Amino acid sequence: MTAVTSPAGHRPARPRPSLAVPIGLVAFAALTWLSASEQFGIGFDLGDIIADIDNGAEIIAQLLSPNWEFLPRTFERMLETFQMAVLASFIGCAVALPVAFLASRVTAPNLPTFLLDRTVLSVVRAIPDILYAMVFVAAVGIGPLAGILALVFFNIGVVAKLLSETVDGVDTGPIEAARASGANRLQTVRWSVLPQVFPNYIAYSLYTFELNIRASTVIGIVGAGGIGVLLQTQYRFLAWSNVSVIIVELFAFVLLIEMLSIWLRRRLV
Amino acid sequence: MTAASGSAGTRPERPSKAKRNLALLGAAIVVVLCALTVDVDPAELARLPVGVGLVFHEMFLKSGPEWSYLPDALRYMVESLQIAWLGTVLGAIISLPLGFFGARNVSSGLVSNVMRQVLNAIRAFPEVVLAIAIMIPIAGLGPVAGMLAIGLHSVGTLGKLTAEVIEGIDPGPVEAARATGARPLQVQRWGVLPQVLPEVIAFWLYRFEINIRASAILGVVGAGGIGFSLQQALSFNRFERAGIIIIVVIGVTILVDTVSGWVRRRIIEGAEARTDAAGAEALGAEGAAS
Repeated sequence: MTAVTSPAGHRPARPRPSLAVPIGLVAFAALTWLSASEQFGIGFDLGDIIADIDNGAEIIAQLLSPNWEFLPRTFERMLETFQMAVLASFIGCAVALPVAFLASRVTAPNLPTFLLDRTVLSVVRAIPDILYAMVFVAAVGIGPLAGILALVFFNIGVVAKLLSETVDGVDTGPIEAARASGANRLQTVRWSVLPQVFPNYIAYSLYTFELNIRASTVIGIVGAGGIGVLLQTQYRFLAWSNVSVIIVELFAFVLLIEMLSIWLRRRLV
Repeated sequence: MTAASGSAGTRPERPSKAKRNLALLGAAIVVVLCALTVDVDPAELARLPVGVGLVFHEMFLKSGPEWSYLPDALRYMVESLQIAWLGTVLGAIISLPLGFFGARNVSSGLVSNVMRQVLNAIRAFPEVVLAIAIMIPIAGLGPVAGMLAIGLHSVGTLGKLTAEVIEGIDPGPVEAARATGARPLQVQRWGVLPQVLPEVIAFWLYRFEINIRASAILGVVGAGGIGFSLQQALSFNRFERAGIIIIVVIGVTILVDTVSGWVRRRIIEGAEARTDAAGAEALGAEGAAS
């Protein structure tokens, strides 16, 4: 650090140290300390965790001996998870398409529409899938309908955000060309913008389908249908060897869907 | 659309759409089958607008949200934020070295393949499953279990993203560091780390934003945070209390997203601009969402 005193005149001056780095480090340390502290935060103590690490040994031993006879009883709920994911992806992605076009400055008809759509979208995105699931279970009762609705909102948030960012980055040449030929706004979007973003749209849709399969574990826990319902009941009964069957099955199913989706994406996009 | 029948012989032939149409048809069949077989009663569907309207009315309009519960709701939300923050910190610290091992260009082929598979396996388990199966047995019910579950899941997603960023670096500085006689660890420190750090930190912040949403889930299985209080309010039909909780969730999440997004942009703009990869990155980062 004292190298500044070096005699060579041609050495470039050190860039002035930015204040952002120390401020960032202090903010990071303060937030972490506050969050971990017993008094202001969640009371995290690494020593306690290490001391208690064998607390879970018995449960984990049960988890490691899955009860495979339980497997056939999971198929019906797994199918429900699949159905919910398909329907929610379809509806969510269909709704997200116009929402995304209104949320991009390139395609929004005017500023108020753009701002309104953006605001609604950030509210939709701020609510986690499980909160949607809880509210819809309260509104329409337990069952897959509540789950599908929750996933639809979750999907609209994800797809509309990603797609509107893609639309922001399109080549404006075709848009000018379409305008010059007298196309109205909708025709411009249909013939100049949509073809450019369509492969991305398909990729995002397949991707949300994967997310939905994963999310259905979570939303089932509050009664919104799918495999999560079974996970919740077995967990409540402390039937750990059944829980592990569901976990392994879900893992295999997600892997399968992911491989299928990668294959489809490669073929279609 | 019928212009294809144009007489000009020089017009190129239309590319075949058979494959695309077949794929669309297949997808349509799957959707219709699911719609017909799913366990949703048409009567249920008919009641849907009324049910949703009623809950919305009870939450926000009838007597207004329960503002007196605001301090408690904020306290639970802060707990959720703390769970998310510590989980992200834990995930970031562990995933950074793992990301180096997972990158093909700075680690060996075998090591990177094994590491990628390990990260994929971790990523496949949702936080809530990690919480139920591993963390609650070890740490007991409470926010610490939630934080550990989020941390472990984040290791999977952040490790993968870090490895991908490292694979995209400019090899020049690495060669330069080697040419000066730097040892392997020094090469990583001075040749690789400065190139990837801005993007990696931006991913950490993005992950924090996602983890806030994930921490809401964990309350439902007893791992602390705002999810638990919402579940309590709804199961006791305290809709006006649920209303204020939802308002707090939306408000605080948007606030944190805005601040975090601003910091991320600030960090990335200081680095090399990589606007063309933005879409792919957004997808990758969203991939972290689950």
